[in-house]
Amino acid sequence: MLKAIKQLDDILRGEATQPDLLKQGRIDIPISGLLLVITALGIFYGACMGAFSVIRTGGGLWMQLVASAVKLPLLFFLTLLVTLPSLYVFNALVGSRLSFGSVLRLLIAMVGVALAVLASLGPIVVFFSVSTTSYPFMMLLNVVMAAVAGFLGLAFLLRTLHRLVRVQGELARENADAASDDKREQPADASSPAVGPGDSDTQMQAKLPSLGDEPARPGQGAATPPRTFSGALERDEVETDRRARMVFQLWVVVFALVGAQMSWVLRPFIGSPDMPFTWFRDREGNFFLRVLQAVRELLGITGG
Amino acid sequence: MRELLIRADGLLRVGHPGHHAPTSAAAILSLLAVFGFLYGAVMGSYGGFIGELRLLQMLYSGMKVPLLLLVSFTLSLPSFFVINTLLGLRSDFRQALKSLLLAQAGLTLILAALAPFTAFWYLSFSSYPAAILFNGVMFATASFSAQLILRRLYRPLIQRNPRHQVMRWLWLVTYVFVAVQMAWVLRPFIGSPGAPTRLLREEAWGNAYIEVVRILMRLVAG
Repeated sequence: MLKAIKQLDDILRGEATQPDLLKQGRIDIPISGLLLVITALGIFYGACMGAFSVIRTGGGLWMQLVASAVKLPLLFFLTLLVTLPSLYVFNALVGSRLSFGSVLRLLIAMVGVALAVLASLGPIVVFFSVSTTSYPFMMLLNVVMAAVAGFLGLAFLLRTLHRLVRVQGELARENADAASDDKREQPADASSPAVGPGDSDTQMQAKLPSLGDEPARPGQGAATPPRTFSGALERDEVETDRRARMVFQLWVVVFALVGAQMSWVLRPFIGSPDMPFTWFRDREGNFFLRVLQAVRELLGITGG
Repeated sequence: MRELLIRADGLLRVGHPGHHAPTSAAAILSLLAVFGFLYGAVMGSYGGFIGELRLLQMLYSGMKVPLLLLVSFTLSLPSFFVINTLLGLRSDFRQALKSLLLAQAGLTLILAALAPFTAFWYLSFSSYPAAILFNGVMFATASFSAQLILRRLYRPLIQRNPRHQVMRWLWLVTYVFVAVQMAWVLRPFIGSPGAPTRLLREEAWGNAYIEVVRILMRLVAG
C-alpha cells in the first residue's frame, strides 16, 4: 500500500511522466498497486458524499454511505471503460505511437490524479454536510468539487499527451537525421524540415521505442517487423502534432461529458433526505438539466 | 509577553531587511491564539455595553476566533497540498505552508489592533445588526490587510516559480469559502441580546450561502 501511495505521489509530482522517461519509451506507471490506492481514494470521497444523508436523517440512511462509497470508484472506472476505446482509436488514427497498454495506463494515472484531488476536497464536503440542511446546495457543491478534480485530471492527461507528441516528434527528427546520414543517396527526402514519416518511416519505426511497452524487453524493436505506415490521416509532422492536439482536446471534452452523465446514471450519490434509499434511481432526465434545476431551487429559496 | 510582542512586530515587518518572522510553528500558533482570543473577547463584550456583561460569552468568542481560523485552515489544507504537488511545487510546500500560517497569525494581529474600534462602536451604537455588520467589516479589513503579509511572504516563492501565484489565489478562494461557513456554524460571536449565552446556537446550523441568497432574493423580490 505504501509503495502504491508512493507511485501515486510520483504521478502527482510529475516524476512518472518526465519527458526524459517518455523519450525512453516508458510511461512508468505500474497499474496494480495504483488501482488499489485509487479505489481507496474513491471509497473515501464516496463516503464523504454519502455522509450528508446519514447526518440529515439522523443515521437512518447508512446504506447511502455504503452505496456512495461503492459507486464512486465505479463511476470513474466505468467512464474510463466507455472512453478508453475511442481514445485509443483516435490516438492511433492521428499517428501517435502509444500502444493500447500505455493509453490504459495513462488513463488510470489520470483517474488517480482526479481522485487524489477529489479526496483531498473530501473534508470540506463533510464539513458542509454536517452544517447544511439544503440538498440542492450539497448537490452543487459536489458538482463543483468533481469539476475541479476532473479539470485537473484532464489537464494532467492533456499535458502528458502533448508531451508525448512533442517527444515523439523530437525522436522522429533525431532518427530521421540518423537515417539521412546512413543513406546519403537520398538526403533530400529525410532531412527536409517537415520530415514526412510516411517516407522514411521504415527506418524510424525500427528505431523508435514503442511507447509504454515494458521498458526491459530487449530486442523488441528488432523483433517486430517494421510497419510501413503509421496513421491513416497522417500528413507531415507539424500537421500531426496539431491534429493530435486537437483530437486529444476534443476527446477530453467528451470524457467530461460522459463522466457527468455517468454520475447521473449511477445516482444517487448524496441521497435526498426525503427519499427512501435505493441503489439506483429510475432512468429520467439528465445531469445537466438536474444541475440547472438545483441552481433554480437554490435561488428559489428552498431548503435552509 | 515581551517575547510575544517582539515576535508579533517581526511578523508585521516581515520582508523588510533586518526583520525576521517567527519560524517555529509553536511561536506562530501562540501568536494566533493570543491575538485571536483578544479580538474574540472584545467581540463578545457586546452585552456589556447594552446592560449585562457576559463574561462567558467573551470567553467563548475568544476561543472561537482562533478555532475558526485553525479549523478552516485544516480543512482547506489537503486540497492545497495535492494541487501544489500537481503543479510541481512540492519542494516549496514547507515554505508555502509556513507563509500561510504566518498570514493567519498576522490576521489575528491586525484584528487585535482593530479591537478598540469594535469596542468604541459598541459604545456608540447599540443596534445588534449594526454590531454584526461592523464586525464583518473588521474581519474583512483584517483579511485584506493580511494579504499584504501573505503577498510579501509569497514573493520569493513566486520568483522561484510563477505558479505559486495561482496557488495563492486558489488558497484564498478555498479558505474563504470554508471560513465563511465556519463562521456561520460557530455563531454566536457577539451574542444576541435576547438569547441566552451559549457556546453554539442550538437551532439548525444552516448554510451561510443559502442565507445570503435568501437575503438577496428578498431584496430583489421586494
